[in-house]
Amino acid sequence: MKKLATILVLALAVGCRKEVPNTAATTAAAKTAPAAAKTSAPSGPAIVLSPAIPGDAQFGALPPNATNFQKLLAIQGDFDIYSWNAFIALNWPPGPGGKGDPKKTIGQDGDNDTVWEHYRDVADVFLPGGKPPTWKGGTGDVPPECKADYAPGMRILSQVGKTPTVLTEFSQPFNTGPLIDQNGVYTRYEILVNKPMFDYILSNSLYSKAGQQVFSGAVKFPCGVLGGAEGAIMVKSAWKVIDPADKSRFHSEQVLVYSPASQNPSYPAACSKQTVGLVGLHIGHKTNSGAQWLWSTFEHVDNVPTQADIAGGMLKASYNYYNPKCTAADCPANQVPPRPWNPTLVSSFHSQIVRIDTFKGNEFAAESAKARNADALKLLVGVNPNSVWRNYELISTQWPTNTGTCEATPGDPLGTPAPTFLANTTAETYIQGMVPNVSSSCIECHNNATMTTPVASDFTYVLQRAQ
Amino acid sequence: MTTAPVPEQTLADFANMSAALTGFQANVLRPFLDPVNLSGLYYDFAVSQVGQPAMDALLGAYRAIATQPVQIIADTLLETASPKPSNQAQICQSIVLVWYLGSWYKPAYQNNGLLGAVVQVVSSQAYTNGLVWKAAQAHPMGFSAFTFGYWSQPPASLATFGVNVSSGGGQ
Amino acid sequence: MSDPTYDVVIIGAGVSGNLIAKQLGLAGKKVLILEAGPAVPDSREQYMENFYLALAKTPESPYPSIAGRLGPGVGTLPNPADLPTPRATVLAIGQSPAESHLIQSQTAGAPINAQGDVRQLQFSSTYERVGGGTAWHWLGTSLRLVPHDLTMYSTYGVFQDWPISYDEMETLWGLAETEIGVAASVAQQEPLQAAIGLTYPPGYQYPMGPIPTSIVDQTISSAVSGMSVPGDGNENKNSEGGEEYSVFVTPTPAGRNSQPYQNRRVCAGNTNCIPICPIQAKWDPTVTLGDALDTGNVTVIYQAVAVNIAVENKSVTRIDYLQWSADANGNLTSTPQSVTGTLYVLAAHAIENAKLLLLSNDQQGIANCSDQVGRNLMDHVLYLAWALADQPVWGYRGPLATSGIESLRDGEFRSKRAAFRMEIGNEGWNFSAGDPYTTTLDLILGTNNSQLNPQGQRFGGVALAEKLNFFLTRQFRFGLLLEQAPQAENRVTLDPTYKDGLGIPRPHIDYGLDTYTMEGYRVAADTCSAVFQQMGAKEFTQPTVNPYPPGRNPGPGDFSYQGKEYHLYGAGHIMGTHRMGADSSDSVVDASQRSHDVPNLWIVGSGSFPTVATANPTLTLMALAFKSAQSILAALGS
Repeated sequence: MKKLATILVLALAVGCRKEVPNTAATTAAAKTAPAAAKTSAPSGPAIVLSPAIPGDAQFGALPPNATNFQKLLAIQGDFDIYSWNAFIALNWPPGPGGKGDPKKTIGQDGDNDTVWEHYRDVADVFLPGGKPPTWKGGTGDVPPECKADYAPGMRILSQVGKTPTVLTEFSQPFNTGPLIDQNGVYTRYEILVNKPMFDYILSNSLYSKAGQQVFSGAVKFPCGVLGGAEGAIMVKSAWKVIDPADKSRFHSEQVLVYSPASQNPSYPAACSKQTVGLVGLHIGHKTNSGAQWLWSTFEHVDNVPTQADIAGGMLKASYNYYNPKCTAADCPANQVPPRPWNPTLVSSFHSQIVRIDTFKGNEFAAESAKARNADALKLLVGVNPNSVWRNYELISTQWPTNTGTCEATPGDPLGTPAPTFLANTTAETYIQGMVPNVSSSCIECHNNATMTTPVASDFTYVLQRAQ
Repeated sequence: MTTAPVPEQTLADFANMSAALTGFQANVLRPFLDPVNLSGLYYDFAVSQVGQPAMDALLGAYRAIATQPVQIIADTLLETASPKPSNQAQICQSIVLVWYLGSWYKPAYQNNGLLGAVVQVVSSQAYTNGLVWKAAQAHPMGFSAFTFGYWSQPPASLATFGVNVSSGGGQ
Repeated sequence: MSDPTYDVVIIGAGVSGNLIAKQLGLAGKKVLILEAGPAVPDSREQYMENFYLALAKTPESPYPSIAGRLGPGVGTLPNPADLPTPRATVLAIGQSPAESHLIQSQTAGAPINAQGDVRQLQFSSTYERVGGGTAWHWLGTSLRLVPHDLTMYSTYGVFQDWPISYDEMETLWGLAETEIGVAASVAQQEPLQAAIGLTYPPGYQYPMGPIPTSIVDQTISSAVSGMSVPGDGNENKNSEGGEEYSVFVTPTPAGRNSQPYQNRRVCAGNTNCIPICPIQAKWDPTVTLGDALDTGNVTVIYQAVAVNIAVENKSVTRIDYLQWSADANGNLTSTPQSVTGTLYVLAAHAIENAKLLLLSNDQQGIANCSDQVGRNLMDHVLYLAWALADQPVWGYRGPLATSGIESLRDGEFRSKRAAFRMEIGNEGWNFSAGDPYTTTLDLILGTNNSQLNPQGQRFGGVALAEKLNFFLTRQFRFGLLLEQAPQAENRVTLDPTYKDGLGIPRPHIDYGLDTYTMEGYRVAADTCSAVFQQMGAKEFTQPTVNPYPPGRNPGPGDFSYQGKEYHLYGAGHIMGTHRMGADSSDSVVDASQRSHDVPNLWIVGSGSFPTVATANPTLTLMALAFKSAQSILAALGS
């Protein structure tokens, strides 16, 4: 059975060649080309300052007689453009309805509220007792420890690492632990879902264990379409407590940092108002070209050095998660903090994190990200040289190279992702590597995702939070 | 040691020859988009083991019969009917083995006639992409892309796993 | 160092050690674990990479030290005399002391003594010495014993009774099943009540639902419907009043997730439980160790090899250990240290426990008034049988085992011969024949090591793929776990000659099988053949069925019984070396695994089993560890 390569062809201006791959992809191309033609930029895919969330990636033409590397570089480039467009649109200042406000531009005032921060936090989707959630619902019950500092609309960040405090929830596998900054403070995470994803969960009653148990058939979130439906989007954000004096370098918020009480390790609940800065952003998007979802991951530029930076002695004065003055002997890199992990205390252990190169053999990923980051930076700084958004970079986009339209190709459930491995140092800190089935690969790991029942949950772990 | 990259056509020939030798579809061994690039990895490894001249000669022999039906190509290059396969046929055996098992086995002529002496697992990705598991309609032990309970049901067909099945073959 | 800084010092960070540490830590007690091997890694990337690159994917292949990475004929295994924590490995079975940590009194074609027992047989099970212990590579099988398993002497007049009641074990198994997260259904186990007496407390529910069965299971299950076998295995003999035992398939309770549990993923059927689950859907002791560390009351010191348990006036006064490190070239340095606690737990698994007890007190030994330390070394000796089904059964899929024939685990015959359980393997001929490698090599190179290529043909192209598909999809195997009889002469002692890299004497093994056990082998072989016949499957078991290649010379793992040849495999279940009992004159510990002779010392693990029955030991040894933790807390006065 022939595999479909989802090479979508754009109708280009006169004089440009139309590259039609000699596979059965032309059917897919025919399906989407008309939609693409309506909204295509005049000269192929490009990063643009726009509040329109792309429903899918847009594809340019492949160079003629392209080598494997050149093909991958070109298509990776298209996906990285998509990722930046998604980042820009999701971080656009929202209007009253929650969509990006066309009268404003991202970063025009330095920092801004964002569209994705008005998505639904999973804590408000999977409610105690399996109660049905509402899109406009508030932030759920305010924990008693937070009531003193709470003001309506404030967000409550409670998740510590990918190791949540509720025993039945999935976390990152194995002994992965928290990420602790240079001040001994734990990094905090949120997971949010957009309206189409929320609606699917609600309408299929997947917000409760009971609802999941009676669900029959396959979980299949809606696919985004270029120029059409938005599709399911989930966002994971990573936050570091910052000194308000540093706000100009981060997208920041005033939030309540809440630690629910824990039995083992044993500590009481705690809550405090903090200024937190965004250090990592994952965007997972189900689209026609991403049946296994598209995975875009961004980091703050000051997070960590790379192995090459350290070898070349090219270190910054400071990082969010690395102390350049501490030697390798005293501060071995990428070690999990020792247990017990108590986020209510300031830790004497500070995470010393280095970015591992996971693109060996996939150098097209590094090359493409570097080029797209330069393009995006120009645009963002062009809005306002003090835009906080200039401090964020795309690490890469993981996409399935061999897949059908909104469904996997039979015989290849993972879709042969490119790049093969991808990690964000704030969220997959301790599994940066190139070992199959263990090192961080968005698609490989998320393929194991199920609901609270063992039924596959279409590449998202959020359904495991149902109560 | 820097070497010029292997020409795309050479890798395509190597992949197409390997497809014929192994009985799998060419686009399984060398997909249109190939982030894993096993054909590049195995081409380089084979050359490091048998030398460039032997590889060039082998590809030349392949090109001479490349338009034949794939089973004929396989039986011809592997000399499956011969009780004493030539050195070139033995190299083909090692190429089939590396695609199937992810490990390189020394051709007997390099090892005093000893059959099946393994050199190494080429890489972890070589192991996880081994064809033998597809021939079993399964998955590499240690790497399953399937989901809970799949083992209760029969697998997809051999053709879906990428074998270039003859009519009436497989199940 | 007379003031104990710890309430309890535990030697060994495996199943028992970690469980006891967790229970004590939760109760606010200060615990130190001394672990001989290296630390639990932050992720299992290195272990999995070791596994992927290993030529011989043996149980030890992921774990540190390069043993296992190299296959036969490709380099040599490291010399245990150079290693700080050598251990028994599969690749070293039958090898010389230059490769084998265990010094075995073994002879090819093991001789038979006057009693008809086979002696000088190679002990064939292995273990690890790393943070997390041997159960990194347990299969996950979590079977309870049946009532008669605990009363072999009272019921059948053989061996020993366990000094603990089935009722109490039921409670303890329940605790262990929750700790591990065992997936099973009591309803599915129900037919075993009539067959072998298995019972559960009324209303008992496993922590999560059962693992689905495989097509191999389903095929065997349909084929054996209505089948029964005689207890004495002699179908054609007119045995008066001979019992018939029903043959049926039961899904296996297993410590692998059938739903998300303990922040671990659901099983994805990686078919790799042994040697390592890549996604930790299968519980392993590092989970419990994490919980223990979370209490804030537990410390672990890695690379700390205990060399002496100092005893004065029947009381442990301190543990002496060597803190070792190795440089990049493998050069070892070690520093002697000591530590004290109020109470002590020895949890280094059955062979190393015995070794340390015998080594202590200047090799005079401790806690051994019974002279049973090191004796009664037992395994679940394994009879491996394999066949080609007459239709595809699609092995190499799912967990390594999902069901078994459990209905033959008890019966009148136990007064005369070993019972067994029949584990159904889902991994084709991987264990039995080194497949899919062996058959692939055969069909390409024209060899016949699999027995499937007798004409020495060679294949290529689609013909190769289809031929391989034909064989691989029909391959399946049984592994029968036989209850080995306890024999005092099967024992671990200190080898007088060979030492490890830290200068510590290595274990010497004397081992064999008695006729009780070998008669079990005979019936096991006949039962497998009968089931294969019932299925219309073609049997290929070696050496039992037509030894292949013809004229092969027996090795030290081979033995003969009543004219048939067998090969000994070990199930990896090392038991018996410090058995429990009510009578301190012939047992080492009591029902709480507390030493009869040294009351502030607990000696825990499968070494405490007085008889081994047929259930895989991990669930039971963890259950006993719960009881030990309770008795330790009572002794600490809480």
